[in-house]
Amino acid sequence: MTNDLEVLLAKADAELQTLQTEEELLSLRTKYLGRKGQLTALLRNIAVIPKERRADFGKRSNEIKDILSDRIDVALKEARNRKRSNDLLRQRIDVTLPGRRVHYGRLHPVTQMRREISAIFSRLGFTVVEGPEVELDYYNFEALNIPADHPARDMQATFYIEDGIVLRTHTSPVQVRKMEKMRPPVKIISPGRVYRHDSDVSHTPMFHQIEGLLVDRGVTFADLKGVLTYFFKEVFGSETVLRFRPSFFPFTEPSAEVDIRCMLCGGCGCRVCGQSGWIEVLGSGMVDPAVFKYVDYDPEEVSGFAFGLGIDRIALLKYGISDLRLLFENDQRFLEQF
Amino acid sequence: MLVSLKWLKDYVDIDLSVQELAGHLTMAGLEVDAIEEKKPAFSGVVVAKILSIRPHPDADKLVLCDVTTGDQVHPIVCGAKNIKDGDVVPLAKVGAKIPGGYTIKLSKIRGVQSEGMLCSEQELAIGDDASGIMLLPDDLALGKDLGEALDLTDIIFDIGVTPNRPDCLSIVGIAREVAAITGNKLRFPSVRFAESDEDITRLTSVEILAPDLCPRYTARIIKNVAIKPSPLWMRLRLDAVGLRAINNAVDVTNFVMMETGQPLHAFDYRFLEEGRIVVRRSKPGEVFISLDEKERVLRDDTLMICDGQKPVAIGGIMGGHNSEVKDDTETILLESAYFNPVSIRRSSKWLQMSTDAAFRFERGIDPHGQVRALDRAAQLLAEISGGKICKNAIDQCPKTIEKIEDISLRIKKVGDTLGTKIESEDIIRMLKSIEIEVKSGRDDTLLVTPPTFRVDLTREIDIIEEVARLYGYDRIPVAMPAVSATLTTEKNGDALAERISNILNGCGYSEVINYSFVTSKAVDLLGLDLADQRRNPVKIANPLTEDQSVMRTTMVYSLLETMRKNANAGSFNLKIFEMGRVYLNQGAGKLPEERICLGCLLTGVRYEDIWHFKDLQGDFYDLKGVLENIFEDLKISDVKYVSDVAEPFLHPGKACSLVLGGERIGYLGEVHPNVLDAMDVKNPATVCEIDLERLTANKGSIGYKDFPRFPSSSRDVAVLIDVEQEAETIIAAVREIDEELLEKVSIFDVYGGERIPEGKKSIGLRFCYRSGDHTVTDEEVNQVHDRLVKHIVALKSVSVR
Ligand SMILES: [Zn+2]
Repeated sequence: MTNDLEVLLAKADAELQTLQTEEELLSLRTKYLGRKGQLTALLRNIAVIPKERRADFGKRSNEIKDILSDRIDVALKEARNRKRSNDLLRQRIDVTLPGRRVHYGRLHPVTQMRREISAIFSRLGFTVVEGPEVELDYYNFEALNIPADHPARDMQATFYIEDGIVLRTHTSPVQVRKMEKMRPPVKIISPGRVYRHDSDVSHTPMFHQIEGLLVDRGVTFADLKGVLTYFFKEVFGSETVLRFRPSFFPFTEPSAEVDIRCMLCGGCGCRVCGQSGWIEVLGSGMVDPAVFKYVDYDPEEVSGFAFGLGIDRIALLKYGISDLRLLFENDQRFLEQF
Repeated sequence: MLVSLKWLKDYVDIDLSVQELAGHLTMAGLEVDAIEEKKPAFSGVVVAKILSIRPHPDADKLVLCDVTTGDQVHPIVCGAKNIKDGDVVPLAKVGAKIPGGYTIKLSKIRGVQSEGMLCSEQELAIGDDASGIMLLPDDLALGKDLGEALDLTDIIFDIGVTPNRPDCLSIVGIAREVAAITGNKLRFPSVRFAESDEDITRLTSVEILAPDLCPRYTARIIKNVAIKPSPLWMRLRLDAVGLRAINNAVDVTNFVMMETGQPLHAFDYRFLEEGRIVVRRSKPGEVFISLDEKERVLRDDTLMICDGQKPVAIGGIMGGHNSEVKDDTETILLESAYFNPVSIRRSSKWLQMSTDAAFRFERGIDPHGQVRALDRAAQLLAEISGGKICKNAIDQCPKTIEKIEDISLRIKKVGDTLGTKIESEDIIRMLKSIEIEVKSGRDDTLLVTPPTFRVDLTREIDIIEEVARLYGYDRIPVAMPAVSATLTTEKNGDALAERISNILNGCGYSEVINYSFVTSKAVDLLGLDLADQRRNPVKIANPLTEDQSVMRTTMVYSLLETMRKNANAGSFNLKIFEMGRVYLNQGAGKLPEERICLGCLLTGVRYEDIWHFKDLQGDFYDLKGVLENIFEDLKISDVKYVSDVAEPFLHPGKACSLVLGGERIGYLGEVHPNVLDAMDVKNPATVCEIDLERLTANKGSIGYKDFPRFPSSSRDVAVLIDVEQEAETIIAAVREIDEELLEKVSIFDVYGGERIPEGKKSIGLRFCYRSGDHTVTDEEVNQVHDRLVKHIVALKSVSVR
């Protein structure tokens, strides 16, 4: 009779090997281990087994029940895993299809550049101030030491509104308005739109400037060089080479034009730098004592420097934009590159 | 200003390369904008001599010449009449290239072989003379390349001279700077000439009636001049600096102006009535015909140079047609004067005549340079015209030109300004190199006198700049300012703008920057009412184009323009915004109010049309949602969307005002089809414009509230209301009753059409109930909900569906 148990185990084992699915395995379990299963049937015959072997028979049948049950469980687990794997594989998607994007907008390159420049000067303690774009001749010219009938007015082709009112040609009037209202130390930058009566490949009638002004006791030309050198290295990288050269602005003296070594040709001369190897990026200088007179500062007590740079021009250089006019055409194909 | 290197070398030795010189000039403040190499416009043209001339057998108008290039004789057919045996002429040999793209070929002209071509000045682009073959000096080596023989190569610098340096508007002025840079000596051409016995005072006189405008007038008379083209060397000099040769008398005045910076004028003496000069102001309405034969009507403040009867020149700006030098002129009166810079600038601006002379006078010429320039011109004119210079010059100087005062220069101030110490010996040496006289001063202070031509040097700071310039900006160290701490309470207006643009970017809107000026027609295209303040924009007096002639009073026009341009470029789906100013006119003499605004425009699909998304067109509610995001971020909760205040350029049924705290801060709506038509825009668009300052002034603050611990219970109800009725009225009605348990009421569905009665729409309302201290029960919620529904239904034309 014990032999019957072994035969049953061998048979069940053999059957188990051939089964794949969960359903088959469950019915196998019923077939052998169920209440009406073959093992139960064998156990029912226990009466015919001699007494002395009944204990062995019982023990062995329990063992076989456990063995078989474990083996079916393992097979079931495998079968279920197999099934899930197959199911998952059937759900396969095409990962190369484009993602479900919610389109995001971009900031205008001039705004990006303005924010970057403002941030650098903020780190140096400069405060942002603003002023009117339609400006009094007084602030735009006169108080900046550019009297009427002075040839220096030719340097800035001007849009006129009416007698005594112009579209500001630079952001410099903000420095006068600010100095009128406060005593030194003054440490401001003023970004904004400016206007020149000029329109060609390299000029747009409107563009953006950032004016900077620092007035305090003992400010020197060396400080001007220091601040601007720091600034340009922040914008264009620490390898940037600067050149300060004498120039003329009626409201600064000594005045300096700042060039950076052309990053395209490394100074050898190319189309961008007009073969000179240098690119003009900024005008600056020590505040002219005449300007201090207008705002009632004593040039024997305080000194300062001012600078003005074209944001658009810096953006052009930094982003490699070929034509200034693109900035204000607002073509989607342009805007979406920033 | 164009500067010829060859000309420059007449006055100073230059041992630098062209690039080095340009670099030094630039670093001295004379920015070299461009360097041009001047070369002959031809090749293969050589110096040749005519051996013989004989008639052409078959053509009356041609001759046959044998010309020699020293080692070879060439037969040449020629049509010119001005040549004779022994003349030295330019020969374009076979293979030569001459201007106009011609290559000389071996040719047969009426059966006779010609081995090249004899050329006129014009054919070689050396000058304007096309009347005959160019006759060369006899001493040129035969066979030599003509370009080399005439030394036609040169380097031309284009120098940007800043307005403070009128002394550099001359070759000598630039040479002086070069001398200071190189340490070489400046050579001013010596002026020596013979005078005739006839004294100028017997021929003319000068009377100055406006000494404030003309502090000094000097004159000389040269008799027996022969007017003809100037010698080649002078014409080449003038050509190099961009001036056209006219005749020897005019060329001399231009040459000396370029050389010294002093403008001069040559009058034909025979046309000066009473033979004298009177300098006076113009009379209002006075009519004058200038050299360029244009009629000028004058005001009362222009300086006129007159003879005994009439004006003969606009002082310092342009001579008169009535007294110009002609081919048969014999006696010339040369003028060299100092005119008031402001007066010249006003007149030249008003007359719109910007001449080389006016350019120099208005910037300020050397007030002591008149006689030297006059004598230099007289000398040159006598030399090249065969004229005789009358004895003496007239030098009327009724008003002493302000003498330049001595300037104190504190050595310490130099260091304090530049941030580096410069020794006084070095300062003295540098100043002397540009002819600034240094008088002995105390150790710490120098007394300096600038030369008279440096009209820009009047103050200590001017001298400090010269020191810095000569010392070299590159030698000044780099430092960082040690600045007093500044405490500012300034609000960073940018921060909120930044926040708002971040949200807009996230919502898919890209920033644009439009010009602040628009066409004056914009207000009509938008159909603004006659009474609308925005119809009266700030006008630009001198616009570049009509399209940019007035300052914008609304952002909408610019945004629609941007939309139109993009549509023309094939981009029909656009979400854009601009932050900028509008300019509201406050009347004459006043600055406009500049209002910072946010403008947005949406056109085309809600989402980019790709495989996931259906082609859903963006509309009013898309843009409204964006604004709701912004308001929420700024913690502004009470913006009202009021439909009864319309903008004429918006769709009357799909637009509203944005009202905050009882104040209108902007509008939102679909653009009126009439405006789309008027602006030639095809697709619908939704726009908004918000006064950013008024918006940000209402910014709320973050106030955290604990979120509820007890669950909520919600009830939905659908009500029918009139199609015209705004859903907001139902919400408002619910809010009228202060039910403590009601946490929120929102609209979750709007439905019209099938199964809904004509003229009605169904609004799905969701009521959310919650208590702060217990879990609400169905009974208590039902009670409150019933009360609320009854209240709504009690409203006119509302029924539960
Ligand atoms: Zn380059």
